[in-house]
Amino acid sequence: LTTPKLVEHFFRHEYGRLVATLSRRAGVQYIRAVEDAVQSALMSALETWTIAGLPDNPSAWLFRVAHNHLMGELRQRTARRRILEQNAEEDIGTPENAPEIFLAGEVRDDLLRMLFVCCDEAIPVESQLVFALKTLCGFGIREIALRLFTSEANVYKRLGRARSHLRKHPPRPDDLAGEQYASRLPAVNTILYLLFTEGYLSSHAETAIRRELCDEAIRLAAILAEHPLGQAPETFALLALMHLHAARMTARQDGSGGLLLLEEQNRELWDRHGIQVGLEWLAKSAQGDSFSRYHAEAGIAAEHCLAPSFKDTRWEKVVECYSLLERIAPSAIHKLNRAVAVAEWQGPAAGLDVLDGFEPPTWLAGSYLWTAVLADLHRRCGNAQTAKRYRDVAFESAPTPAVKAVLQRRLRIGGPA
Amino acid sequence: MPKRNYLCIQRSQPGKGEKPSPAQMQEMYAKFNAWKQKFQEKIVDMGGKLKGGGKIVTSEGATDGPFVEAKEVIGGYMIVSAESMEEAIEVVRQSPGVWMPGSSVEVREISTS
Repeated sequence: LTTPKLVEHFFRHEYGRLVATLSRRAGVQYIRAVEDAVQSALMSALETWTIAGLPDNPSAWLFRVAHNHLMGELRQRTARRRILEQNAEEDIGTPENAPEIFLAGEVRDDLLRMLFVCCDEAIPVESQLVFALKTLCGFGIREIALRLFTSEANVYKRLGRARSHLRKHPPRPDDLAGEQYASRLPAVNTILYLLFTEGYLSSHAETAIRRELCDEAIRLAAILAEHPLGQAPETFALLALMHLHAARMTARQDGSGGLLLLEEQNRELWDRHGIQVGLEWLAKSAQGDSFSRYHAEAGIAAEHCLAPSFKDTRWEKVVECYSLLERIAPSAIHKLNRAVAVAEWQGPAAGLDVLDGFEPPTWLAGSYLWTAVLADLHRRCGNAQTAKRYRDVAFESAPTPAVKAVLQRRLRIGGPA
Repeated sequence: MPKRNYLCIQRSQPGKGEKPSPAQMQEMYAKFNAWKQKFQEKIVDMGGKLKGGGKIVTSEGATDGPFVEAKEVIGGYMIVSAESMEEAIEVVRQSPGVWMPGSSVEVREISTS
């Protein structure tokens, strides 16, 4: 007796593929019915395959079953509606008579199309993200809530907003012609970037869960970069930054799951192959005139990846990239990061100078990041009193025990000031 | 000890429990296969899942049923071979039939005398 093994994430990725294909065929307005049909097909697969074994082509099997489910459901709806409206001529559409939404020369990849469909600027960004996680990545409601640190009710609400918009304003075949796609590319890149940072910056305790989000972002970005529509310097830079960050992910934790600072990381653990792939995308992203925030961020990540040690980092280059980033995407966090890099390059006093007279926005002022950096720079400048004041606040506002532990080490809490 | 066969009848409460996510399904698939492999010697007939909407036949004829409104519906069956009821229970206890919330499995020895 053999136990047929399925590839990792098979069910989740099939879910995404089937939802994308079937909603292209039936129309995105039927997304709910499509998702129900796909869910049923996966359940049937689970029940049948465990007893009868795997079919020759599991993907084709799933497609057939999901397609039949959907057709049955849509036919019933049409029939119900006809009875209600007494011979209404209007047909809500079934997979057989729905217009083919893609035309020759347009985006052929259903997943990619779905990604562009969900990046509709009329849908709030947080709803786009939830919708992408549900439909493209195949995560369940609870799994999304867990990953985004929000409630299940909130996930339902965000999902509902995206679905109701798509139901009321389903993309027409000609709506998503090449030009429309091109204009949505920045929004698509933003969603992929968010998906990645949700995983990368998350304070979630489980590395596997964070890694999964990063891998999903890389998977979708790679599909995008393979297509002529996605082949823009921004997309390449985005992929570069994802690879250059992901390559160092495992080194960010010690054996017991504690966080490690960049200077504490064992650089031997960095994934050299991943870094290589990232650098190749970075080189590709430089072909063209555009310089996006992704370029700046990938540039910073590349400097760290290429540095033999923390001390030997080309801090002047890092500072330069942060300055560019601040100009392209103004944010107080970039200024704070620049101050840290300047401190490594020209000393802690120079770092403090960057922040001199700067009033951080409330979200940053209340964050441990702001107070921890000030505590560190003041300590290194010998301002023991000020340093102590900041480090107490930083320690208090640290969101997780892992972050508290890092602060304790970095800010010498309990040790000599 | 001679082996005896036991009929295992799985019941579930309709509408109980959330639908599993694709990732959970993949986990269930792996667990099911591991269970099947572990007890392959003891599983006489994997049985299967029963479709809804059957008929109830009496000498008077056939009527529709069982209805989904019922509190519990029989969802599937299988036959295991074991030396004792305790052994049969162990096979079932580890089986997928009892994983879902609200599901239960009835184990009955098939009489040969």
